[in-house]
Amino acid sequence: MLNNPIKEGWLTFKSIFTGMGITFRHLFSPAVTLQYPEEREILPDGARAKLFVNIDDCIGCNLCSRACPVNCIDIETVAATADTDLGKTSTGNPKRFWLTRFDIDMAKCMYCDLCVHPCPTNCIYMVPEYEYSEFDRTNLTYHFSNLTPEMITDVKEKAEAEAEEKKRQREEMMREKAELARKKKEEEAKADEMDPKGSVADQPIKEDSGENVKKSDTHSDSPQIQNKSTDESTETDSGSGIKNDSNKSGSDDHPENNNS
Amino acid sequence: MELTTILFYLFSAVTLGAAAVMVFSRNIVHSAFALMFSLIGVAALYVLLHADFMAATQLLVYVGGILVLILFGVMLTNQGHNTGFRAGSVNLLPATLLSVTAAAVLIYAFVTADWAITDAEGLTETVHPLGMMLMGDYLLPFISAGVLLLIAIIGAILISTKLSDRSENSSEI
Amino acid sequence: MGIFQMTANSFALTTILVHALFPLTIILVYALVAIWGERKIAGFIQDRLGPMRVGGWHGWAQSIADLLKLIQKEDIIPTDASRFLFKFAPFMMFAASYAAFAVIPFSSGYMGSSINIGVFYLLAVTSLLTLSIIMAAWASNNKWSLLGGMRSAAQMVSYEVPTIATVLTVIVVSGSLNLMTVTELQSGNDVLGFLPNWFIFQNPFLIVAFIIFFISILAEAHRVPFDLPESESELVAGYQTEYSGMRWAMFMLAEYADMLLLSLLGATLFFGGWNSPFGDFMAGPVWGFFWFMLKGLLLVFVMMWIRWTLPRYRVDQLMHICWSILIPLSFINLILVALWELIF
Repeated sequence: MLNNPIKEGWLTFKSIFTGMGITFRHLFSPAVTLQYPEEREILPDGARAKLFVNIDDCIGCNLCSRACPVNCIDIETVAATADTDLGKTSTGNPKRFWLTRFDIDMAKCMYCDLCVHPCPTNCIYMVPEYEYSEFDRTNLTYHFSNLTPEMITDVKEKAEAEAEEKKRQREEMMREKAELARKKKEEEAKADEMDPKGSVADQPIKEDSGENVKKSDTHSDSPQIQNKSTDESTETDSGSGIKNDSNKSGSDDHPENNNS
Repeated sequence: MELTTILFYLFSAVTLGAAAVMVFSRNIVHSAFALMFSLIGVAALYVLLHADFMAATQLLVYVGGILVLILFGVMLTNQGHNTGFRAGSVNLLPATLLSVTAAAVLIYAFVTADWAITDAEGLTETVHPLGMMLMGDYLLPFISAGVLLLIAIIGAILISTKLSDRSENSSEI
Repeated sequence: MGIFQMTANSFALTTILVHALFPLTIILVYALVAIWGERKIAGFIQDRLGPMRVGGWHGWAQSIADLLKLIQKEDIIPTDASRFLFKFAPFMMFAASYAAFAVIPFSSGYMGSSINIGVFYLLAVTSLLTLSIIMAAWASNNKWSLLGGMRSAAQMVSYEVPTIATVLTVIVVSGSLNLMTVTELQSGNDVLGFLPNWFIFQNPFLIVAFIIFFISILAEAHRVPFDLPESESELVAGYQTEYSGMRWAMFMLAEYADMLLLSLLGATLFFGGWNSPFGDFMAGPVWGFFWFMLKGLLLVFVMMWIRWTLPRYRVDQLMHICWSILIPLSFINLILVALWELIF
């Protein structure tokens, strides 16, 4: 406490003028305001904004969809038929699926960035675009598939036809095998007089496997199961891809980007 | 001057009308604000009488000072957050008698008085002669009024400090 | 006007109208500019830009747009309000600050009314502001409004004393209540050979008087740091809480007019009014008006500058500053100025 009134009064005046000096200096310092619609801040490199999918590079591996914690990515793939070659991605990975559906619901998206890193072809990423508000929530679902509805039905029919063909072939094969087995068994039974029960039990298992084949061609979750041999390679690719990505961003970019 | 006459009747009407509202209003705060209009009207009449210093004093002292204090008093002593300040009338008969008598006496005096009527002089400076008079011929009443006010101020300060001393003592005990 | 054209009063009426419309025009233009200017100054002090959209260059038409908006707004009167007083208060407040412009000498060639009691009239008329604020506060029937009104009344009644005391010091030096005479006394450049003859340079005690006067008019005009009656962060704008639309705009206009009035009074009393700072250079009625408005607006700018620098005082601090510091100081200063005038 100051008890000297003159000193106190002087200090009061001094502090007022000090404050006014500071505000006067700020009066002439340039404003930090950005005139928003005309001027925009350039988003930093790791900024998380709108998701974008370069559909030409997508191999339909579904890794992003599975990485998404809020299930906002909805992918449907159809296996390409043997007569069509979908080409390769810019990263050199062969494309084996028609992407009949690739929807991202940005209303659900929580900008966690987790879908970006697993992508083996780096085709899903965030673009510095943050003005996409809509009056209707459903407009926030972005469709990235570049196939027309006719193409989709066409592709699906083809795939189904091929699947049917495959199934039929397999069934044929199975039947032949079964017939062979039965013949064998019959021969054996003739030879050994044994019960034919085992062959009856075999039958439904074979039919189940046939249905599995059909499902896996059209439904999104199963291509990996069906094409284990091909997918295992992509999966290992993608696994290494994650590592590569993180290494890259760690070495190339600013350290903040890793944190953000 | 026609304009002056019009203004005289206008301000007289304001003064009397506001005074009537002040007396007959059942709401104390409305009465106080009516008093304000009445005082402003009186100040305007002073201006028409070429007493400009008087008019300004009327505004400054009565409207700006005393009326504010009246309102302060009303609002601090009453339930200030409510517009319903009700005031009742008591002693209607004696009050009426008294005021009627007073009015009769005043009107009688006004009518019978031998008014010296002169033509209106032009607007002259009032402040300088007023100050000369106050500091010359009427020095004693002026000083007396000043001393009286000083005593009143000292008394007010004494009362308020004593009260606060007492409250401090009581809080200590 | 047309009705009275044939009468002898037509000349008087025309004069009255001209004299009435001139300050009104100044107030209206000033209010539009000052509200925009205050927002720009606030913006610049806080390293922002302030309004930028309306009208192109730096949002100059923002006040006009706001005015148009306010005109369209609904005039809401609370159910339990005292209707007549509620409606009347904003106009009375504006009338009080507007009427005081009559005695302000805008230039050597123009003054609304050259009555001899000049400053005294000004102080008397502005005391109506207090009443109109109490009126608005009480008629709103709102506790915040009433609190703001009570604060305002206490504040204005208190700060009127140092204001009058410091005005009195100038009157002691000038010997006249007429502001035109006060201004004429300040013409010429004789102080120390080059400084203008303004009262602030004539007498060292008048500098103290000006500081006290400026603090007091900050309080009288309800400016920060003494904006307790309308402190928007605690009293939700005090006596203006219940007002909307044009009635609220009248309050705003009255406040800005009051600010200009007191600044112009300060310019007249201490800074030579319409006198040019360069002696005869750039003098004359029109230049006089320019210098006068420039001085007044500079004081207004300082008020705005202080607003965006200092925080608000508490009620007890406000009263303490007035009654224990400013009033004794101003009276001691008055005596010292009188002694100085006697000796020199």
